[in-house]
Amino acid sequence: MVRWFWFIVAVLFGAALGMLYGWVINPVEFVDTTPSTLRVDYRSDYVLMVAEVYSAERDLEAAVRRLAILGDKPPDESVREVMIFAAQAPYADSDQALLSQLASDLQTRSPTLGAPAP
Amino acid sequence: MNEERGRWYLLTGLVIGAVLGLAYAWLVSPREYLDTSPASLQVDFKDQYRAMIALAYVSDGNLARARARLELLQDEDAIRSLAEQAQRTLAEGRSPREAQALGLLAVSLGQGPIPLPSLPPANPSPSPVATASPSPSPQATQTASPSPNITSTPQVPAITRTTFATGMPLPTRTPTSTPGAPFVLQEKTFVCDQNLGGPLLQVQAQDAASQPLAGVEVIVTWEGGEDHFFTGLKPDMGPGYADFAMTPGVVYILRLADGGEPVEDLTAAECEAEGGARYWGSWLLVFSRP
Repeated sequence: MVRWFWFIVAVLFGAALGMLYGWVINPVEFVDTTPSTLRVDYRSDYVLMVAEVYSAERDLEAAVRRLAILGDKPPDESVREVMIFAAQAPYADSDQALLSQLASDLQTRSPTLGAPAP
Repeated sequence: MNEERGRWYLLTGLVIGAVLGLAYAWLVSPREYLDTSPASLQVDFKDQYRAMIALAYVSDGNLARARARLELLQDEDAIRSLAEQAQRTLAEGRSPREAQALGLLAVSLGQGPIPLPSLPPANPSPSPVATASPSPSPQATQTASPSPNITSTPQVPAITRTTFATGMPLPTRTPTSTPGAPFVLQEKTFVCDQNLGGPLLQVQAQDAASQPLAGVEVIVTWEGGEDHFFTGLKPDMGPGYADFAMTPGVVYILRLADGGEPVEDLTAAECEAEGGARYWGSWLLVFSRP
């Protein structure tokens, strides 16, 4: 009975060592990640780039396509999240204005038709 | 005897536990990466990220910001990555606007900030906005076969790609094309150079002071096809340079989008080496603003 107890303790200790090695010392490396896994500041900068280009192009559909690579979230939600981050960071006022403009224009866009609502 | 058996039990338990722990950590529940950097992105996503950096640069002209953003991608040679992606974009018939932005950023990184020309429209033709698929670009005609009544062996003209030497220095600062007087053909030379690797239409665009101009749109047409490309997408050849691979037997017309007279009847012709071997020559066309 005592032997079984120590056997289980050894298994648990070994498992802990294995997980320590697998998670901390030598974790699985991800080299082909998607934009949805980007850290929030990188993701925010990407959205800012979309907003910068949108301010020059005024092509809302292109902006939506560019935002789509960030994941399944609706584009206006992605931009709103970034606006919160931009306010906390804080980003320059001009950058926040670009984000705000994009968010505003996305809100007027009908998601089903993909065109600005009347 | 019992003590020895006990020690083996412990070791066996430890090994079994370690294997189970590793399997759990690596296979069942690997550590999730939710805070990755742009450098770890898949190649195609990296290309999209790079294209956005270039388009944003062309929009705001902030080279320092573009440079900082490019550093996040950790490219070995950012200029070369930009130039190669620009050529890939054109060769694959995707957005000329994106290709030009990539080329302009490559030139700017090599030479410092340059005046940015206006880019081609994002949507060259009116298209329904309901779909999320990219709009077709004018380069789609690149895959059209040349007229069969002109060439005996119809082939698809393709944009050639130059092999970049490592650490290729860029020329000194060069202006980019800005609207002005139409370009004038200054020189039309038939070039016999075996190193060029095939019949090329080589274009050099210059300003009035004979300085090379990047970002000049070149249009090549032939029976049944048309292609657009820009100077400056091959930084190793100079910012005012662009080329196009001709298909032997096809007659081409070349003009610059900014205006000026088209150059007609351009066809591939052969040269003869000293030993009598024959190879394809190229046309070098030098345009400049008056």
